[in-house]
Amino acid sequence: MNRLESKINTSAADFQANAAHNRTLVAAFREQQRAAREDRPQRDVERLRAQGKLLVRERLQQLLDPGTPFLEFSSLAANEAYDGEVPGAGCVTGIGIVSGREVVINAGDATVKGGAWYPLTVKKTIRALDIAIENRLPVVHLCDSAGGFLPLQAELFADKYYAGRIFRNQCILSKMGVQQVAVVLGHCTAGGAYVPGLSDYNVIVRGTGAIFLAGPPLVKAATGEENTVDELGGCDMHTSVSGTADYPAATEAEAIAIARDIVAQFRRQPKAEVERQIPEAPHYDPAELYGVIPRDIKQQFDIREVIARLVDGSRFHEYQPAYGKTLICGYAHLWGYKIGILGNNGVLFNDSALKGAHFIELCNQNRTPLLFLQNITGFMVGREYERRGITKDGAKMIMAVSCSEVPKFTVMCNGSFGAGNYGMSGRAFDSRFLFSWPQSQISVMGAEQAANTLADVKIRQLAKQGLKLSAEDIEAIRAPVLGDFKRKQSARWSTSEIWDDGIIDPVDTRNALGIALSASLNAPIADPRYGIFRL
Amino acid sequence: MTTTLIATRQHHFRLGEDEQAIALVRTADGHLLHTADGASAVSVERDAQGREWLRIDGRRHEVFIATRGDEVFVHLDGEAHALRYQHPLQRLAASGAGSAEDSVRAPMPGSLVSLPVAVGDAVQRGQVLLVMESMKMETTITAPRDGVVHSVHYAVGQSFDRDALLLELESNA
Repeated sequence: MNRLESKINTSAADFQANAAHNRTLVAAFREQQRAAREDRPQRDVERLRAQGKLLVRERLQQLLDPGTPFLEFSSLAANEAYDGEVPGAGCVTGIGIVSGREVVINAGDATVKGGAWYPLTVKKTIRALDIAIENRLPVVHLCDSAGGFLPLQAELFADKYYAGRIFRNQCILSKMGVQQVAVVLGHCTAGGAYVPGLSDYNVIVRGTGAIFLAGPPLVKAATGEENTVDELGGCDMHTSVSGTADYPAATEAEAIAIARDIVAQFRRQPKAEVERQIPEAPHYDPAELYGVIPRDIKQQFDIREVIARLVDGSRFHEYQPAYGKTLICGYAHLWGYKIGILGNNGVLFNDSALKGAHFIELCNQNRTPLLFLQNITGFMVGREYERRGITKDGAKMIMAVSCSEVPKFTVMCNGSFGAGNYGMSGRAFDSRFLFSWPQSQISVMGAEQAANTLADVKIRQLAKQGLKLSAEDIEAIRAPVLGDFKRKQSARWSTSEIWDDGIIDPVDTRNALGIALSASLNAPIADPRYGIFRL
Repeated sequence: MTTTLIATRQHHFRLGEDEQAIALVRTADGHLLHTADGASAVSVERDAQGREWLRIDGRRHEVFIATRGDEVFVHLDGEAHALRYQHPLQRLAASGAGSAEDSVRAPMPGSLVSLPVAVGDAVQRGQVLLVMESMKMETTITAPRDGVVHSVHYAVGQSFDRDALLLELESNA
C-alpha cells in the first residue's frame, strides 16, 4: 500500500491561519465539555455528599478498568436546549472496559435536576442502548434518577422513541443474549424501576437505593398507606423478600465492585473476523489536521490530506483514482483494522455516485468496515446532470449505503448539505457511530441559499398580486432565516439534538474510531443483500 | 548446498544518488541478500545489552538502525548511511513519465474566481494556480509539479464545463 504524499506546505501562512482558527474552536469545545462535565451548583453536590453518594464520574472511575480508554457519547447533548440547564442531558453514556469486556455504560447524573429524565435524556439513553443492540455490547446501568421530568412528560413518555423504548431495548438485548447489570444507587421510581427489573443482574445499595412503582408520597395519596422508603422498596426488602434485586451492598463502592465481578462472569463472544495487521502511527502528524481544515466552509480541500493524518502509516490504496474524482474511495488500515474509506472531494456527480455504490459493494463482499468522511455540498444539479440520471445514480449510492451489512462509521469533517448527507451515511443510515468535528455544519441546504429561496417564494407570491417587495422587506425575510439556519446547522446544535454521538477533537478521531471499530466487531457481519438498484 | 533464486521480487532503495536493487530470501538460518554484486548470508541479532549486530557472511559488525517513514538510517563501521525505500507503486508510476500533469482540467463545472499566475510564471508544486467556484464551494487548484505556466485558457469570471482545459504547464520533455 502506497504512502499518501501530502501536498500541503505546513509553514504556509494559510495553513498557520487555519491551524490557529481551528485550535481556537477546539479549545472552546474542550472548555464547554469541561463545564458540562464538572460545573454543578454547590448545593447539588453537597446534597449528594450528605447522602453518602459519589458523583457520576467518580462512580465511573471505580467501575472502569484502570488505565483503559472510555469513549464518551454526546458529552454536549442538550447543551443548546432547556436554557442550558441540563448539561450532557443529565446522563453519561459511552463505551468502556469493565473486567476486560467492552461494555456500554448508561449512568444517570443526579447532580443535574436530581437525575430527572428530560426528553433528550431519554433520547441519549435510547441511543446508548441502540449502540448496545447494534454492536452486541453488554450494558452496565448506574441508576440514580428522580424519574421523568413531569412538565415535559408529553415529549418523553408515550411515543415510539420515548421512554418506553428504553425498556423495550433492554428486553431486545436480553432476547439477543446480550447481558446487562444494573446498579441501583438512588431511587428507581415508576418507569425507572424497570431498568433494574429488566436487567439480567442487579445490585442495590442499602440506605440510598430503592425500587418501586410509586414512592411513599404517591402511595399515601393513592391508598392512604404509610411507608418508609426502606419498607416500600429498600435494599433488604428487595434482596430477601421480593427477589426484585439480586445483590445487597453496604456502600456504593461495594455495589460497583460486585457489578465488576458480575461482568467478569460474562461469556466473551468471539469477534467478527476482519483483515488486521500490526498497527502503525500515521506518517503525517494528526495535529496537522488543524491546518488542513479551512477557516471558510466554502473552501474545498483534498480529503486525502485528512486520510493521511488518520490511517496507519498514512498508507492508502486508492480505488479508481482517475474516475469520479470528487469521491475518493480506497482501502487503508486504522489501528491495524482494514477499512474502506469514502471521502468527498467536491460535489457528487453521476460517476462519483456510481463509484461509491460499487466500492460499498466491494467492501461488503470482502467484509471490510466502511468509514465515511463527509464534506459534501450535495449531488450536482442542472439539466445535463438530470438528463444523465443524477437522481437514479444517487439512489444507487443511497441503496448501497442503506443495505450495507459491514459496520459503517461517519465523521462530519466539514460541510454536510442536502442529499449528500444521505449518500455519505448520515445519521438516518445507521452508521454504528457518527462523530462531528467542531467546525462542521449540517443542513438541508446552505443558510444563504435557504434565505434566498424563501425570499424568492415571497417575492413571487406578491408579484401575482401585483405587489413588489422593497429591499428592506426582502432583508426582513432573509435575516431571521439566516440566523436560524446558522444556529441550527452548527455542530453545537446537532450534538445537542443527538444527531451524532458527540463532537470530537479532530486529533482524537483516530482513537475514537479505533475504539468504535473494536466495539463494532462484537456483532457478526451478515451477508450483503440489497434492494433494487435503479439501473 | 546451492541456493536457487526463485521468483524473488526486488526492493529498491535510494542510497545517496544511487538506486540499489536488492532481494532478500529466507534461508534455514537467516536470510540471503542478493545484490548486483552477488549473494551474501545476512542476519541481524540483538544481544542482551540491546546492541544490534549485523552478520554478513560470518563477519559481525555492530550496527545502529533507525527508521522514519520510508527512510532508514544505518550507522555501520563509523559511517552513517541514509537509505530511502522506493515503493514499487511510486517508482513504477514515476518511470512511466506521463505528460498528464502538464494540463490542469476543471474537476467540475464552474467559474474562475481568481488567477494569481500568468503565462511564463515559474511555479512550484503545490502553489496556487487558480481558484474556481462551483455549487457555492470554492476549490483551489494547485500546481501538480514544478514548472512554467505555458498557457491559460480562461479569464476571471468566465465559466466552463467539467474537464475543460484551464491551464497548461510547459512540457518537461
